[in-house]
Amino acid sequence: MNMFRFPVRNTPRKLKKSFGVGSGPAERIKKLQMLVTALIRNERLEAKESYCLETRGYAEQLIQIAIRNGDRHAETMEKADYWLLEKDLVHKLFKVLVPRYQNYTTAFTDYHFLPKKVPGSGVQMGILELKGNPWPPVVPRQRNQKYLLTNVLISTAKEEYRMEKKISPDLKNGTHDKLNQLDNT
Amino acid sequence: MAAFCIRSMLLRNLTCQNLISADPTLTARVLVCHQQVRGRRRTCKPPSWFSKRRVSVKQDITPENAKFIKEVVIETYKKPESPLKDGPWARGSWTPRTQRTGVLAIKLGIVPQWTKDGKKFKTTLLQVLDNHVINYTPPEEFSKSMGWKPFWGSKYGSVVVGALSCEPHLFSKSYNNLFAKAGVPPKRKLTRFLVTPDAAIQPGTPLNVMHFRVGDYVDCSAKTIGHGFQGVVKRWGMKGGPASHGCTKAHRRMGSMGGGGAKASVWKGKRMPGHMGMDWRIVKGLKIWRIDTKYNVLYVTGYSVPGPTHCYVRVYDTILRHRREDLEENGNPPPMPTFYPEDIEEPIPEEYLDEELFNFSSESISYVTEK
Amino acid sequence: MAAPCRKVNYQFVKRSLRCFEPRVIPCRWSNTLRNQIVEKHRHSPLSSTRELVKQQDDPSDVLVPREFRFVHPDFLPYPIWNRRDRVREKLEREDMLKRRAVLDIPEFYVGSIMAVSIADKNAPGKQNRFVGICIDRAGHGLNHYFVLRNAIDGQGVEIKYDMYNPLLQKIEVLKMEKRLDPQLYYLRDAPLEYSTFRLDMEPVPISKGAHVPLNAIKVKLNPRPWSRRWERSNLKGVEPLDDYITEKMKKQKQHPQIQKTWEMHDLMLKARSSIDDREVDQIMNEVYKRKEKIQKEKLQKRGQEGKREGKKAQEVRR
Repeated sequence: MNMFRFPVRNTPRKLKKSFGVGSGPAERIKKLQMLVTALIRNERLEAKESYCLETRGYAEQLIQIAIRNGDRHAETMEKADYWLLEKDLVHKLFKVLVPRYQNYTTAFTDYHFLPKKVPGSGVQMGILELKGNPWPPVVPRQRNQKYLLTNVLISTAKEEYRMEKKISPDLKNGTHDKLNQLDNT
Repeated sequence: MAAFCIRSMLLRNLTCQNLISADPTLTARVLVCHQQVRGRRRTCKPPSWFSKRRVSVKQDITPENAKFIKEVVIETYKKPESPLKDGPWARGSWTPRTQRTGVLAIKLGIVPQWTKDGKKFKTTLLQVLDNHVINYTPPEEFSKSMGWKPFWGSKYGSVVVGALSCEPHLFSKSYNNLFAKAGVPPKRKLTRFLVTPDAAIQPGTPLNVMHFRVGDYVDCSAKTIGHGFQGVVKRWGMKGGPASHGCTKAHRRMGSMGGGGAKASVWKGKRMPGHMGMDWRIVKGLKIWRIDTKYNVLYVTGYSVPGPTHCYVRVYDTILRHRREDLEENGNPPPMPTFYPEDIEEPIPEEYLDEELFNFSSESISYVTEK
Repeated sequence: MAAPCRKVNYQFVKRSLRCFEPRVIPCRWSNTLRNQIVEKHRHSPLSSTRELVKQQDDPSDVLVPREFRFVHPDFLPYPIWNRRDRVREKLEREDMLKRRAVLDIPEFYVGSIMAVSIADKNAPGKQNRFVGICIDRAGHGLNHYFVLRNAIDGQGVEIKYDMYNPLLQKIEVLKMEKRLDPQLYYLRDAPLEYSTFRLDMEPVPISKGAHVPLNAIKVKLNPRPWSRRWERSNLKGVEPLDDYITEKMKKQKQHPQIQKTWEMHDLMLKARSSIDDREVDQIMNEVYKRKEKIQKEKLQKRGQEGKREGKKAQEVRR
């Protein structure tokens, strides 16, 4: 029901540190400011899972309001100025990222899990990246999926199924058109 | 200290090592250890028949092929081999001792309603989505299939009801075979109801909201909201310690855990911190005020149906004796074994309202009597 | 020093490769369903109780006036999205619109002076009419309520009315205006003159298309003690409170835990506690269309009744 394009928790993560510098809600926001700035600058962020997933929400919201309101809106400029600690990134947000994500229907970011280091602290690390970034992809993309055995078998089965339908008297709605356009497999 | 609750045990997932018969739905829950178990029963280990991992279709298969698979699945279940080809089963007649099958609903939330006197009360909405009867086991067979002799003898048979149809490739083959008899796509969730033999119902029968009528009383059984590991103040309502006046680190602690004397030890079942919630609880005698047939929704009294929004709720006719006797007195028996479309000649109206429920389309309630 | 060569643990490799697999939750194990899953099953072609997508009556999107959502805050859904449900909200909205077809609920804001007639068994004439200033308006769906305040015989009286209560006979807005604050609970700590309104007050007419007037009155509160710490509430419709509070209270007010400056630009906090604009637009669209329909039907009815009365009058004259 929520209008986020990526999974969002019910409650925000506290990103807690028991006491001292770096603890408390104010420091949490400072931490997130740094992370959002880093993400917008480098377009890819490798950090703890909880940090990445918290940053995701804030980065997406920032880009969302920038798209919706543009750079002439005083409130949006204030927020961009607040969240982006390096001020040249404000220009990047409005001039580079907004046109890039203007017509996106999906989320603007991607999150990938990283393997846990053994031996180690057991902390789950992850990669948060802006879509359309210039770096090589994190997940290797499988090309020519249709030549995988599973797909070849399913495609042949599909053809046979359609042929059977053609021969059999009762045709379903829509399949008639599909028979005429057999996929090139 | 919960009693040895047999009916609730039928719902729990226990590991089954000794399969007595081949039919998996029969072998409900077999106890390996027959020792009485107290307290809350929770297992983290899923049963042997449970398919742990879902096969993800998105990984290797092209979008066209994925679409084709879905198309085939829909075609297969559009014209199922009707189990009713053998002919429909005989319909029993209702007595106050009859227990019909229940329904597996989803809790939608709480909405206020008003009576015709102007009194406000809360109602819980329960949606009955895509329910089918998967299997029926007569009493003799059922009592033998359990690993222990039930105290009800051969009184009750069992009906397995499933909700929310899914695509077969998400589950294991053995799970999918459960639905062959019913001729229905494999269901996301199954539950079992104890049923008297006069309410025997054929596998494959769809169940919807018309199984109940407005003015009927139902029992709702569901798992309560899980609170995790909780302290004694929240879990048992203990008072804890004083906030100030020199109280040292004991603001929410138990304090003493018992007396001394002859016992000189902690009593069994002593209230202590522990896991709270995710327990099956039954709320009895809830009246159905309103039925919406378009969305298959029941409006049921109160806000005490256990569980959060979108949890599964088992809804069945109340066991409360006086409510059943009232039904008999009024000569208004419920449809047996369930509602079939041929029972009603006219088209089914979009909603049914209780006589005492205020209909928002009608005029405001006024106590001014016109002369 | 080079790390010693180790035999690679197969389990570890398997686990590390799993990071590239999409995360799946066993669908049959969970007791609760996510919203998306429930919606998926409601529209699934495999479902025997499939919900068909309703064909829109008017294909063209009606331009709903921007003010509409502020006039009808009761139609806005509950903001905690994991407790929301589309079908429940739809059914609630249906009930609300049915009630609005019977009872005329006018546009009003916090600060407007209203008169409400409610059926009361124990009142003379079986009806009770109360006049007061609206100090609060809240609640979602059928739970929407408003609170009226007045001073009767030197005693402040507040009455909370459920907007969709079937006992309500009539809601009149005697004076439509807005105030500087969203709630006026501080009137409890102000002199009674600010809360006194005549019970036989005449309605103040307002032209149809006019802007809602803003009453920029600054209420002078009574000296402390107050029912709430008004100095921390950032009240705009109240005279400066510095004369009423001690130095310690001024200092406490500036404490970061009280000020919570970090919440000012917290994007996710706002996103979590509010409904997305697109969804609000959808809902307001639906409500607007239904309201237009109801208006038309009412006018038709009145027209018919007028004709009937005219005919009766003619008959009488004859």
